[in-house]
Amino acid sequence: MNIDNTASQMRKGVLEFCILSIIKLGEAYPSDIIDKMKAANLNILEGTLYPLLTRLKNAELLTYRWVESNSGPPRKYFLLTEKGAEFYKELDLTWQELANAVAALTKDSNTSTN
Amino acid sequence: MKKVININFQGRVVPIEESAFDLLKQYTDSLRNYFSNEVGRDEIINDIESRIAELFEERLKNGSTCITDADVTIIINNMGRPQDFADADNANMSDFSEPKKTYEYQQPPFGTSKKLYRDENHKILGGVCSGIAAYFNIEPIIVRLVFVFSGIGFIAYVLLWAFVPGSDNVYNGVKKRLYRNPENKFIAGVCSGIATYFNINVWIPRVLFLLPFISFFFRWGRFGPFHFPSFLSFSFSPGTLLVYIILWMVLPEASTTSEKLEMKGEKVDLESIKNSVLEEMKGVKERMNRMSNEARTFAQEHGGSMGKEVGVAAKRVGSSFGDIIAFIAKMFAYFVVGSIALALIIALFSLAVVSIGLFPLKNYILNNGWQNFFAWGSLLFFIGIPVIGIITFIIRRIARIKKTNNLMRYSFLCLWIFGIFCFISLIVSVARDFKSASTINEINVPISNPGVKKLQVTYSTDGRYYGNHGWLRFEPFANFDEDTAYVNNIRIRVVQSSNDSFKISIIKMSNGYSRKLADTLASRIDYPIQQIDSILFIGKGIPITPEDKFRNQHVVITIAVPVGKVINLSKKLEWRNWEHFNGPWNNDNYDWENAGSRDEIEGWQNHYGEDLMMKKDGLFTVEGRSIKTFNGNSQEEIDLGPDIKIQTDNDYRDSVIVKKSMDSTINKLQQNRIKAEMRIQKMKDSLQKVKEMIDKKIDKLNDSNTMNDNPIEGMNHGFMLNI
Repeated sequence: MNIDNTASQMRKGVLEFCILSIIKLGEAYPSDIIDKMKAANLNILEGTLYPLLTRLKNAELLTYRWVESNSGPPRKYFLLTEKGAEFYKELDLTWQELANAVAALTKDSNTSTN
Repeated sequence: MKKVININFQGRVVPIEESAFDLLKQYTDSLRNYFSNEVGRDEIINDIESRIAELFEERLKNGSTCITDADVTIIINNMGRPQDFADADNANMSDFSEPKKTYEYQQPPFGTSKKLYRDENHKILGGVCSGIAAYFNIEPIIVRLVFVFSGIGFIAYVLLWAFVPGSDNVYNGVKKRLYRNPENKFIAGVCSGIATYFNINVWIPRVLFLLPFISFFFRWGRFGPFHFPSFLSFSFSPGTLLVYIILWMVLPEASTTSEKLEMKGEKVDLESIKNSVLEEMKGVKERMNRMSNEARTFAQEHGGSMGKEVGVAAKRVGSSFGDIIAFIAKMFAYFVVGSIALALIIALFSLAVVSIGLFPLKNYILNNGWQNFFAWGSLLFFIGIPVIGIITFIIRRIARIKKTNNLMRYSFLCLWIFGIFCFISLIVSVARDFKSASTINEINVPISNPGVKKLQVTYSTDGRYYGNHGWLRFEPFANFDEDTAYVNNIRIRVVQSSNDSFKISIIKMSNGYSRKLADTLASRIDYPIQQIDSILFIGKGIPITPEDKFRNQHVVITIAVPVGKVINLSKKLEWRNWEHFNGPWNNDNYDWENAGSRDEIEGWQNHYGEDLMMKKDGLFTVEGRSIKTFNGNSQEEIDLGPDIKIQTDNDYRDSVIVKKSMDSTINKLQQNRIKAEMRIQKMKDSLQKVKEMIDKKIDKLNDSNTMNDNPIEGMNHGFMLNI
């Protein structure tokens, strides 16, 4: 098994959840999302983000509005739809369960190895 | 010094270095291609482009005069290249649309020297052809066709399959596929697609397709100044149409952008590959490891995949005996399936060839109307549809086209069923026309000189009959043109004459729908028999007109040879006598046994071109040997003494070779017989001597009344001495 591969698979799994949670805090511009994720030490390529946003939008979890920008073309600001909010809630629940489960399991294995 | 151009990018005017612009264009093209099957493709590209535009704007605001290569490279690195986010996409897309990766350009295999691998990614059977194509950097389809159409292809393929290791990372530089081009089409875009594929002008394939038609019209009108080679106008005009239709059905239309790119064979990701080569070099070792891991897992997952099995087996000989057995079993299965398929194809093609060859004869066999309709239906649908289907299947396999067309499939099936119906109707209908046989009516043919000593029989030299050319011979049709066909349904019988003159009689026979019709057709047979001096000329064939139709018209010529006279049947007759009477439609009810009181003399068929003398008990050669065998006694016994018998069959004796070898055998056996007889005679003599001795001794004993002598000793002694 390749460590990079596994790690990136793990990251990918939570990517949508992270993006949705950033947008949930308020309207977001893609580069803002990138910055926030970078700040949280979760690196993502913009080329990966754009298709992801479009797909979420096509799945009616997100919507967007145009905002004039003083540096360049008008920007797309993304926000959650009602469906998106519900989707997020479910994901959040799943994440909590998963986090607890993983925490419990890793704790177990840590203690047992110690 | 670099040239700077202004571009309109996302509604902004951006000054950019020309080389940077090329980089940017290649990047957006690669993105477009990567997302080609994604639902929101244009939107994604647009978003990315506007983001890039924004970044450009920032850079220009910070004081740059123009966008440079470095700027673009940095931006591209930040955005990520398609291959960078390919993995991420695959994992994330499961909930949404599943885009197909139509384009996947891989690095050339690592290492400096090129190695031959079987290409597991683009394989049809074992990936051999694809691997070879990648090795030589040519089209796989070319290699495939070479393998398919060369004799040793199969064996070579199996050997390569067995010995060349497989790899799922074979880099194939050429990615081109044949599509129909909808952008520049005349009928269906076939020619245009071919032109795009070979990168030639579109009129070239068009003219090639049309040329035979043009030439056909010129020839048809017989006024054109051009003289096209006849093979073009004859064989190609239906051929190209067929080819066109098949290609139309087989080739998919290049409807999406990626398909259009594939059609032109553009290397979309070339630049990004070039850019990433340096990075790749660093990661070679890591990737090598990963690749081998993947290959191993792949091999484990696809344990049944034969290529892997062979590869593994070759590496670990001995440990994977089961794999080898599986390989052999699979090979055998492929072989069986392949043989059956091949046999089917050959059968169909030969059926098609025969029916096409037969088609000109249809006027002589078929009644107009329904039979004609059925004949066309059988040819087009019963035979034509499977032929087209098989060709289509092969081409689809070779061109790796997976799109299925159910409508076409079912309509083909319906048409084929209709074809079967036509075929059966045709057979039934034609068989009915052959149902009845005519009545037998033997007519004496007056000959001018019946008293000759020797009668020679040969075919008429009249050039009217018998060109005997044409690529397909169909017995009994010897030759035909628009208004007459010649049928060589002629049989000769030789009998013994009741008086001292030759007598010729003829029986004309035919089949037909009714006995009456058969009789009429029989009476219409115009078969010439003519004697000139001592030569009897008989016709080479029975002329039949399209009005009369061929209903198995046949004639039997009976030649009565008087005792003491000679007949010579020319070697020319050898070929076509007797054989057609075994045809499936021959059901004449003539009772040959009781045809008069004269027995037919058989066996002369072995003596074409020889003088045969009629004697009281049959025909004899000039050497005085009997050709023997009267009717009803088809077996001949050669008496070689009490224990040795050789039986011969008339069937075998038809062959001259067999006869010759038998003659020599008979000679040898006869010599042996003579030797044996001499030995027997010697033995008899010696026995006689012994007997005499014994008799003498008995006499002696009787005389002396003593029993002291042993007669046996004397007998043994006698044997020893004499044998």
